Amino acid sequence: MNTILECKSLTKNFSNLTALSNVNLALERGRIIGLLGPNGSGKTTLIKLINGLLVPNSGEILIDGKQPGTETKKIVSYLPEKTYLPEWMRVSQAIEFFSDFYEDFDQKKAYEMLERLHLDSKKRLKTLSKGTKEKIQLILVMSRKADLYCLDEPIGGVDPAARDYILNTIISNYNENATVIISTHLIADIENILDEVVFIKDGLLTLHTSVDDIRTKEGKSVDTLFREVFRC
Amino acid sequence: MLNKLLKHELKATARLLIPLYLILLFFTIMDRIVLHLDIFKGVLSLIPGLITIGYVLSIVAIVVVTAILMIMRFYKNLFTDEGYLMFTLPVKSYHHINSKLIVAILWTVVSIIAVIGSIFIVAATPENLKAFNEGLKMFWAELSGPSEDHRLTIFIELILMLFLSLINNILLIYLSIAIGQLLNGHKIIGAFASYIGITTVLQILATLLIFAASLIFKDIVEDVTFIRTTVFPVTILSLIILSVIYYFITDLIFKRKLNLE
Repeated sequence: MNTILECKSLTKNFSNLTALSNVNLALERGRIIGLLGPNGSGKTTLIKLINGLLVPNSGEILIDGKQPGTETKKIVSYLPEKTYLPEWMRVSQAIEFFSDFYEDFDQKKAYEMLERLHLDSKKRLKTLSKGTKEKIQLILVMSRKADLYCLDEPIGGVDPAARDYILNTIISNYNENATVIISTHLIADIENILDEVVFIKDGLLTLHTSVDDIRTKEGKSVDTLFREVFRC
Repeated sequence: MLNKLLKHELKATARLLIPLYLILLFFTIMDRIVLHLDIFKGVLSLIPGLITIGYVLSIVAIVVVTAILMIMRFYKNLFTDEGYLMFTLPVKSYHHINSKLIVAILWTVVSIIAVIGSIFIVAATPENLKAFNEGLKMFWAELSGPSEDHRLTIFIELILMLFLSLINNILLIYLSIAIGQLLNGHKIIGAFASYIGITTVLQILATLLIFAASLIFKDIVEDVTFIRTTVFPVTILSLIILSVIYYFITDLIFKRKLNLE
């Protein structure tokens, strides 16, 4: 099985709004994929569907051939755009929490990354700034040896220096079996690490291609193409 | 995986309740000592009063925190941003209900024992204990009638009813919170409204049923054994049925209708 994620006619409606409409998508293992689109285009909805936080109205979503559930949650590492760690926890307790629930969590790796970013594991999360919390969440998520990483706006709130470190972390942690989905609108910053891009507009999948193709066939950067496609 | 959820749920709640139990223990011992000493004269006579105030406040704090914690843990941990963490853990959704419910029951029971135990410690004098015993005897006499044969049955029924009412009420709160989060705003108001709505409907139904029953079983109602043989068992059965319904609807919402912001 080389396909890690497959969407078949995937549709999700909210009361009066179609968030995703008839999306067909197959993602291979071993890729870094940019999920790109303007605000409200359906990026987060797709990621929530992958993680079983939403249930599709019609169509199907398969992760490693299975519908979202306990088994897929074991192999999907998800970074939401929220700060989702309980505020009362110390960083070390959050690490313990992850290693309790995820068999693929590597504590040693998490502590190494904390040290690299000069973060103190004894601190309580409520004493940390929003950007620092985001770094810690990303460290936790990337310390898993998952098959599919879903990173929703992973670099939005952190400074450029940490941004570089984070992107390096992502590249160096993903193995040939794993796929990373990065949803963002900061395209220029991540463009260099992407293998493929998926464009979403108003709930419709408008483009799925490799970054090399965009560069060779269109002669443009992803950033330029994005600005053209989504011109307001 | 339930074990791990329980472990973390206990950690998240114990850090608030254990200190309160220790404070209660402190005031219990202090109050017991000062109330039975007659050495405080003049300004010093304020001391027993102050310690008693501290004692009462620590009881109030335990009752309030136990109740609020039961509600807030479910809401905050599952339906605010923390829900993104909890619902992407590789655990079955109903284990979230189980872990929250078991820990809520545990702390309720511990808090009840702590408060009652502490009242005994503070108030126990030979006279008080005697009065308490007599009150208990009267209570039994009222419930079981002149015969003493069925006291054990009634005792078991009472304990079961108390325990099931606790579970039933917690599950109803959980269901109300789960219904409230379906709204896109005003989730907490939605939860209160569902709770009030469901209890009102149930009250009306219960009143109608009791009224109907009293017409049908006119003669038997006079008999005190009716409580043991019918009223209590019917109550127990309805509590079980309602709890099961609440539980399954809550889990269904978890699985199909999560609406995290």
